[in-house]
Amino acid sequence: MTDAPKHPESVSRREMIAATAAALVTPLLPGVATTPPAAVGVPGKFLTAPEFAMLDELTELIIPADDHSPGARAAAVAAYIDGRLAESLEPDWQAKWRSGLQAVDGLSRELNAKPFLEATSDQRVAVLTRMAAAEQDPKTEPERFFGQLKGWTVRGYYTSKIGIHLDQEYKGNVYQRGEFAGYDAK
Amino acid sequence: MTLVRVAPPLEQDVDLSKTYDAVIVGSGAAGGMAAHVLTTHGLKVLMLEAGKKLPIEQELRSMQWPYDHPRRGDAPPGSHHLSFNEYTIRKPPYAKGAAFKHVYSYVGGWTGSDYVKNILVDEKDHPYTGTNYAWVRARCLGGKTNIWGRLALRLSDYDFKAKSHDGYGEDWPISYADLEPYYDKVDLYLGISGVKENLPHLPDSQFQRPTKLNFGEVKLRESLKKAGQVLTPYRAGVTTDGLKHNKYRSKCYGRGACERRGGCDIHAVFDSPTGLIYPAMDTGNLTIRPNSIAHEILVDKNTGRARGVAFLDSTIRKSYEAKAKVVIVGASTLESARLMLLSRSPQHPNGLGNSSGHVGHNFCEHVMGPGVTGLIKELVGKPHTLDDGRPGGFYIPRFRNLKDRQPGFIRGYGYEGNSGHTMFPAHVMDTAGFGGAFKRSVREHAGAFISMGAFGEVLARYESYVDLDPETKDAWGIPVLRFHYQFSDNERKMAQDMVATGREMLEAAGIEVVGTDEKVLTEGWSIHELGTARMGNDPKTSVLNQFQQSHDVPNLLVVDGSSHVSASCQNPTWTIMALAWRSCDHLADELRKGNL
Repeated sequence: MTDAPKHPESVSRREMIAATAAALVTPLLPGVATTPPAAVGVPGKFLTAPEFAMLDELTELIIPADDHSPGARAAAVAAYIDGRLAESLEPDWQAKWRSGLQAVDGLSRELNAKPFLEATSDQRVAVLTRMAAAEQDPKTEPERFFGQLKGWTVRGYYTSKIGIHLDQEYKGNVYQRGEFAGYDAK
Repeated sequence: MTLVRVAPPLEQDVDLSKTYDAVIVGSGAAGGMAAHVLTTHGLKVLMLEAGKKLPIEQELRSMQWPYDHPRRGDAPPGSHHLSFNEYTIRKPPYAKGAAFKHVYSYVGGWTGSDYVKNILVDEKDHPYTGTNYAWVRARCLGGKTNIWGRLALRLSDYDFKAKSHDGYGEDWPISYADLEPYYDKVDLYLGISGVKENLPHLPDSQFQRPTKLNFGEVKLRESLKKAGQVLTPYRAGVTTDGLKHNKYRSKCYGRGACERRGGCDIHAVFDSPTGLIYPAMDTGNLTIRPNSIAHEILVDKNTGRARGVAFLDSTIRKSYEAKAKVVIVGASTLESARLMLLSRSPQHPNGLGNSSGHVGHNFCEHVMGPGVTGLIKELVGKPHTLDDGRPGGFYIPRFRNLKDRQPGFIRGYGYEGNSGHTMFPAHVMDTAGFGGAFKRSVREHAGAFISMGAFGEVLARYESYVDLDPETKDAWGIPVLRFHYQFSDNERKMAQDMVATGREMLEAAGIEVVGTDEKVLTEGWSIHELGTARMGNDPKTSVLNQFQQSHDVPNLLVVDGSSHVSASCQNPTWTIMALAWRSCDHLADELRKGNL
């Protein structure tokens, strides 16, 4: 047997289930069952514990859990970004994140008279709103950092199990039965 | 898994003491096709490939989920892919002075650089100089066919006889009728999917089952039809019905994730190793030698004819000679020109086969970048469907300067496009803001966009050329190419029309235009470089005859895109293979008759 299966049935039912399960069922479990509580100082690989906690909160504010799917925290986006930072060979890029997080804290002190993590959730949203105000043409450091932060949060989230399967409900990259479901080109 | 992969055939030992019937330089679409045709005729062939023979399925890992990869598909730290800005602001060699350990061309920088890092060359080892050019090179068995875009189109007499049509450039020394039977052979041997449209400027192929258009694409097709224009399902060099004669390839089963550049590990998409080289090895007539960098075509001192190829083994940096009755070059448009220019001898002081002075010249390709994005309102908030389980979305064939005459430019362009849902949601970075509203908006709009980008013909001009840099050498000590190549006013005017017309097309279909790309991408971006050793009837103004045979050296053939006389706006891979088949059939005939 060297060719592709002649009939879809020749892909065994067990294989179909296995393929589907691998793609769809498994990722349901960690995300939905246990949404971890807000991180409170888990030490990062590159970031310090307070920095990591801040990043975790910022990613969740950008892509929060809603009634459709878990958010960036459950998808461990901060850990993904921190991992990339830790192994990076680009000190400039690492420094940009560190000073960016400091700038967020600075903005929070300016707006709320307290550090970001001590602010209320409304106050945190106010900080991010200010950072996002000039998305198309960022000028201040917090504004520029917003682009970096959002870009990596988006990449981390929509390439995660939760992002692909629960939020986007992506149908591909699994063995398909029958033909591609589309419209006939008539 | 029911899909059983067949291991590549065992390699025969290379015997450099013997004279092969033919030595082929390069293993991509051109070299692979030459190997297939010549071994089928019973000729003994040695193929030299500069790069490695990779365990390609392990490289591609086509079904790996992003989250199962430690960097979500990105290459390890220390690797860098060149960006548009770097290509534009800086000058080649782009990797010069880079702090990164490895520097690669832009391909793979989009969605998975880790999957192509061993396929692409490291720019640090392979510099070039001159004008800006995004030169993508794949040194490995199969070359760029491992990562190609799959659009498989025919050319027509609007291309072959373009000078007769508008007075510019040169006609090809062949017409569509000469090549049609060979296009058919390529279709049937390799498989192509599509829908017949009966267009004189984009001839139909011998199609296998087409992939289907989705809602947004049908909407645009219907609207264009009213204006007398055509949108057709992507004509993909993909077998959708299977190929009984090829045990190395499976048929496409629409699993999706095709947009990830980095090939197809079930080989439903054509690639040269499984489509051409492995079957040729199974004849017992093909010997392959990877890690073999050809640096000179050797010439017999008495006859001036080619007698073989000098190459460097990249693993031990030692030079060897391969002897053959015929030398066939298919190293890619630019590398083939480089090899000819490197092959200087008393009989051929300007490079082999270059008495015309045209080797390296008349360099052309496709201009790309301009395009439009629309939003299909009916799809906003609808459940996501499987839309990327296809090798491509749609193609809108050329419509300019067929019957009309555009005031600003000659020749034409076509659009490639697609609509629907993909693994990574489309246009997420264009969605402003953050928070619950942002997340919901991304989700509701993810499958509702339609995008298309144009590929236009770049005019072949003698002034557009490559030559050897007198100083810079590559990691193997071989002189590198220097570019003298820039888009002209014709391309810039055409690019403006691409945006304006794309906008009109979407608007006429009731699709809201939400984005336009007006930027023309750096020269080279289309990876469709062509025409540095063009065919022609006059040995004074062309390098090859209609059978891709050197006018100067009859036992030298150049069977890749360098032979093309003009670029057309249709993607070149299928034409490269049809031409190579025709030329190698002719060559086998000549050898049989004793004419060589």
